[in-house]
Amino acid sequence: MNRKSFELKFCFWFVCIAFAFFLGLPLANLAYKSLQTDGGIGPGNYAAILTDGEFLAAFRNSFVISALEAAITTVLAFMLAYGLHLTRIPARVKECLQLVIMMPMFLPSITYGFAVIYSFGKQGLVTQLVGTQLFPIYGFWGLLISYIVYTLPPAFLVLYNAFYYIDKNFITVSKIMGDSTLRTFWMTAVRPLLGSLMAAFILSFFLSFTDFGIPVSIGGEYEVAAVMLYMKMMGALPDFASGSVIAMAMLVPSVVSVMLLRYMERFNFRYNKISKYEVQRSLTRDGAFGLFFAAVALLFVAVFAIMFIVPFVKSWPYQPVFTLDTIKRVLSDNALGDVYFNSVMVAGITAVLGTVLCYAAAMVNARSDLNKYCKIIMDVIAMVTNTVPGMVLGVAFIFIFSGTPLQSTFAILIIANILHFFTTPYLMIKSSLAKMNESWETTGLLMGDTWLQTVIKVVIPNSRATICQMLSYFFVNAMVTISAIVFLAGARTMVITTKIKELQYFEKFDAVFVLSLLIFFTNVVAKTFFDMLAEQEEIPLYKKIKNLFKAKENTHEKFC
Amino acid sequence: MLQLRNIHKAYDGKVILDGISLDIGDSEIVSILGPSGSGKTTLLNAILGLTEIDEGQIIFDGKDLTGVPMKDRGFNIVFQDYALFPNLNAYENMVYGLRNKPGISSPAEVQELIELLGLKEHLNKRIDQLSGGQKQRVALARTLVMKPKILLLDEPLSALDGVIKESIKERIQLIAKQYNLTTIIVTHDPEEALTLSDKVLIINDGQISQYDAPHAIVTAPRTQFVERFILSQLRIKRDNIFRLFGDMPAAVAGVAR
Repeated sequence: MNRKSFELKFCFWFVCIAFAFFLGLPLANLAYKSLQTDGGIGPGNYAAILTDGEFLAAFRNSFVISALEAAITTVLAFMLAYGLHLTRIPARVKECLQLVIMMPMFLPSITYGFAVIYSFGKQGLVTQLVGTQLFPIYGFWGLLISYIVYTLPPAFLVLYNAFYYIDKNFITVSKIMGDSTLRTFWMTAVRPLLGSLMAAFILSFFLSFTDFGIPVSIGGEYEVAAVMLYMKMMGALPDFASGSVIAMAMLVPSVVSVMLLRYMERFNFRYNKISKYEVQRSLTRDGAFGLFFAAVALLFVAVFAIMFIVPFVKSWPYQPVFTLDTIKRVLSDNALGDVYFNSVMVAGITAVLGTVLCYAAAMVNARSDLNKYCKIIMDVIAMVTNTVPGMVLGVAFIFIFSGTPLQSTFAILIIANILHFFTTPYLMIKSSLAKMNESWETTGLLMGDTWLQTVIKVVIPNSRATICQMLSYFFVNAMVTISAIVFLAGARTMVITTKIKELQYFEKFDAVFVLSLLIFFTNVVAKTFFDMLAEQEEIPLYKKIKNLFKAKENTHEKFC
Repeated sequence: MLQLRNIHKAYDGKVILDGISLDIGDSEIVSILGPSGSGKTTLLNAILGLTEIDEGQIIFDGKDLTGVPMKDRGFNIVFQDYALFPNLNAYENMVYGLRNKPGISSPAEVQELIELLGLKEHLNKRIDQLSGGQKQRVALARTLVMKPKILLLDEPLSALDGVIKESIKERIQLIAKQYNLTTIIVTHDPEEALTLSDKVLIINDGQISQYDAPHAIVTAPRTQFVERFILSQLRIKRDNIFRLFGDMPAAVAGVAR
């Protein structure tokens, strides 16, 4: 008997059963609920909703604003990626810009809404600096700007990474062949990235369409599908039949998005080599991009600066005097301390268990001799989890787990988070495992190790960097998410994001910002920690420091 | 004639090219040979105009090209991985430049190139349907359509195997002769350099070790580096082949034992 197969078979069945129970069953149940009417099973609920003007308007609103937002974000993200790769702007400036752009990823989206209100609202920071309110914040404009801030980081990452894989020799060829600047731009930057550009667009669209935090904080009269779903499920007059139909309806754009994304892959160029390229000197180009960088950085700083100010003043905007009293007052509330602890615990357990589950699934897919259908099932699971928006997952969980021992437990939050964020870490570790030499397990076996020993001694250590990235991804996302767990968190299992939602209800905005800051710093610390763990090499610390000084000395020489 | 005068180039304080001076005559094939990190690709990019040099001059036919941008130098390059546009087919790649400079090659001349490089049956193929050797020939054709004043080739043979390598070698020589084309080739393979070119430029650590005809390099190596790294490698190869065929000349046999 081949022992290797036994452990992998176990992984396979474990992953399958877990997803059948926590993903397949709730979704099937949701579909069933949406068909259940007073008069038996039938499409009655759908008919009612599809003729409901309010619902149609909310869906149309979601669609319009997400599409517009995604178009703007994609263009901005492309220009940022282009500028970072193909200008001679100093590396330090580029690094700073990247840090600023990445900032929203460490914050819950519900915070952006409040930050925009506090920056661009009537009494807002920017409004006071400029002297006049730039645009009406509640509703369309507020949503638009918050969505852009929310989706720019992931869209930027897609395009920035895709730029690495463009063969820069094409730029040289195009220039030598006498192409005009515009045609070089098209042939060597836009055309090779068409697939990625569409991917960035769809990703932005999907994120804003399914986001809950932003519209709940700043949506105002502009009703969108996500808020409508929440009101139907958790509002004053619950209407579960409509809720289940809206949840099902939200799946449609998601399914279409994921299918489009798969279709787009064929537009991507595959290059066999990444070549180094020396960017030509051009002051006009660098100047223009410098201004653009500054404008984007300014937008981000304008939105988020307020978050770092409110907690440190007496009372914004009436008494803008520096004090630590606000923070002390908020933090002295014991309940908040518990909520913070809950958040970190949920995020930590999500990270560990999620990483283990992804690893098991990826081992089955990338390093097993199980038949190809077993491998495909793993990919299908990843695709399905990617398709289901957090809100839909949350609603599906309420329907099936209400009244069971799972209701209002930390376990259900953790399970929802793992399912919600499964895809990306799975794909990360899958590609990393697939790249490793496929004979390691055989070699280990020949050297007298069991399969498990080889995995522990060789495979896992060689994927350490990826494991750290997975842990970090799960942790940070679990810290900032609200869409699935807003339905699932009970009074005792409150986490920070759901607490923020509650504080908004009581208009305690200083507490909102203090908690946001807590999330932000926790995430920065966690991310830094995991990054350090990932990069840790055999080089001892003192040598690293020595190298650092050496580098400093060298730059010094250059300037002298 | 191409003249390089005292070329210097450094990246982040690290010296890559350290005073390179040489002349390359018209319609000569010159190979730049050196280990990785020796600066050979940087030198090629400097001639092409892709890399700015810190010091020195690049003069072609009496004209100083040092400050002239890549586009206007009139040189052209075939990259190691060919850089063929994957969204265009073989023929569209080949005539890519004609769109910008209509008439630089006449239809008859394009036909002649297709014949010369044996591309007739591959013209309508997608790039990913072509073999390595076919891609190489399409890339060569695309470059030659532009009638470059100097043809630069970056590791033209390293991605090809056995027999195809030899046939591409012959084509390169044929083209240089037919079009009186000055050709500069970067390679790390001594055998390739010495059998393909009229002159070989051996560089190491950014400096010229020797610049001579192949015969002169073999018979009169000027530096330790040439002797130890270039010639010893060739001798081992030669001995192995002789031993394989079993007719080792007495002189060589003595050395081998």
